[in-house]
Amino acid sequence: MGVTLTAFIEQVANGTMMGAIYVLVALGLVLIFGVMEVLNFAHGVIFAAGGYVCEVFFVHVIGSYPIAVVLTMLTLAIFGVALERAVFRRLRVNMPMQIVASLGLILMAENAAVLIFGPSALQLTVPSVRSLVRIGDLSFTIQHFVVIAVCVVAIAALQIFLQYTRLGTALRATSQNAEAARVIGIDADRIYQLTFATGCALAALGGALIGPLFLIFPQMGDLPLLKGLTAIVLGGMGSIPGAIIGGFAIGIIEAVSTLFIPTDYRDMVVFALLIAILLVRPWGLFGVRVRGDV
Amino acid sequence: MAIRAGVARLSIGVMFAVVVYLLPVVLVHSPYVLFALTLTLCYAIPAMALNLLLGYTGLVSLGHMGFAGIGAYVTAVLMKNGIAPFAPAIIAGTIVAGLVGVLVGIPCLRLRSHFFIIVTLAVGLILYLLFNNLDWLTGGAAGLPGIPRPGPINLGFAIIDPRRPLGFYFLAATIFLLVFIVQYALIYSDFGRSLAAIRQDETLAGSRGVDVFGHKLTIFALSAAIAGLGGGLQVEFLRAAAPQSYGFLENINLVLIVIVGGAGSLFGPTLGALLFIALPEMLRVADTYRMVLFGAALLALALFAPRGLWGLAVSGVRKLRGHHSALTHAGHP
Repeated sequence: MGVTLTAFIEQVANGTMMGAIYVLVALGLVLIFGVMEVLNFAHGVIFAAGGYVCEVFFVHVIGSYPIAVVLTMLTLAIFGVALERAVFRRLRVNMPMQIVASLGLILMAENAAVLIFGPSALQLTVPSVRSLVRIGDLSFTIQHFVVIAVCVVAIAALQIFLQYTRLGTALRATSQNAEAARVIGIDADRIYQLTFATGCALAALGGALIGPLFLIFPQMGDLPLLKGLTAIVLGGMGSIPGAIIGGFAIGIIEAVSTLFIPTDYRDMVVFALLIAILLVRPWGLFGVRVRGDV
Repeated sequence: MAIRAGVARLSIGVMFAVVVYLLPVVLVHSPYVLFALTLTLCYAIPAMALNLLLGYTGLVSLGHMGFAGIGAYVTAVLMKNGIAPFAPAIIAGTIVAGLVGVLVGIPCLRLRSHFFIIVTLAVGLILYLLFNNLDWLTGGAAGLPGIPRPGPINLGFAIIDPRRPLGFYFLAATIFLLVFIVQYALIYSDFGRSLAAIRQDETLAGSRGVDVFGHKLTIFALSAAIAGLGGGLQVEFLRAAAPQSYGFLENINLVLIVIVGGAGSLFGPTLGALLFIALPEMLRVADTYRMVLFGAALLALALFAPRGLWGLAVSGVRKLRGHHSALTHAGHP
């Protein structure tokens, strides 16, 4: 195998960029699961909505990409609150019906997107995609670095919010023990809305960031959703550091694997790895071992 | 009481079988409806398989169409290359799907519920990617076209020719009813009661002497095998195997068939299959507008019928009856 160092570094860089996107999806999933025990299979739709809304803001409303991204996050955060209130709050204990509701949302959103934006994919051309950065023999678009940098900032902001603010502390308390949190006067319903808003904003950020690099189409959230789910399981289902490391690991491993095996099997490597790791650690890399685990 | 309930159940079962067999006689002038109904039966079999896990054991598998795919491809490869005739081919497909079920079940069934769900999702995706990429065996993304239909079956008093639509319907109906009987027998056996105990409280079931892992593995393998049988039948009916039939959305669709129909009820999966296979086929739901409405209907269903349509119907009937008996009670104090 003649794998050169240059090719390797290139794939690591690409993988880190994709990993950053997966982390943004995984963080939302892990927050929602950790606090509400809801697996949001409609999270991919929020991701795609991020791409579309960002396109609308950037092209039709305001010419500035950063402002468009922020507006996208706000819009989808509000949508997240509505979604939690109207749908997921009622289905908290009914896992199978969460799946049904999610698929209903997926069908509505994906087909509505076709009705509104037409069947062909949208292209979102922002300045940072057109300018290239050369490092030795390699060249990347600025957007590559924007994605990674914004993701790191988002992780840091989330961490500060959760650790150092009253609301963040309340959120963590609810995720540890909802009953006890209620006893000491935390409004759990408000925390659920906050969680959904944050999760949706992060997914929308992912969609808005990846939109300019690839195309915007209704199913653009499917693979990030699957990878995000894999990331949170890998990380231990409920662990935020686990989701972050899981997301980056999946991005880098799948990118590097293309150097050694056909690209067709890239996704399979990730899913096989998930099963292999759970064989050794059934509670995930950073999860807590519960009584009953083998 | 128990005998009367048994007789009642038996007569409902016989009526159901008669209806299934006589449906095409009523619809003989509509080959299209016959096609949709046969396809429904082909999907109802994996749906019943999943119901055994999801409804009766409490295990959500998001990769069950993958097992149907194994049965489908094994049957397809054996039939297409003339290695085996229909019966051995579909039995081989069933057995291979069951064996893969054992292999998958041994590591996965040790995981806690949410881990298990995502891992079955991963297994389903891996199987799909294999179907899609093992070109030499599965024909890759183009699939395997031109699979021969089974030859005529001589029953002595009649000859069923599955190469004709009506003949295949009778073949599919027979296999469907057999699986229905298996489902029924399993649920009302001691084994089935142990599964129910596991669903309700795994720890308690274990401490009462139920071999939890053994039971889960057995039902998972059985369920995978039945799904494989359904896949084999489906591929024989459509005469082509395509990887897209076993992808992520198809997996979710199967879960929907079971949940929306009514998980944990005998007739739920069949009702769900009718709703999700026959109805869209006949209404041509592929239209974008209708898909939006369909999505909204699913959402409404999730919110307002938490136990599925069969559950909704049953509780509706109970309510009516309760209302009725309350009235009679008031009338005759």
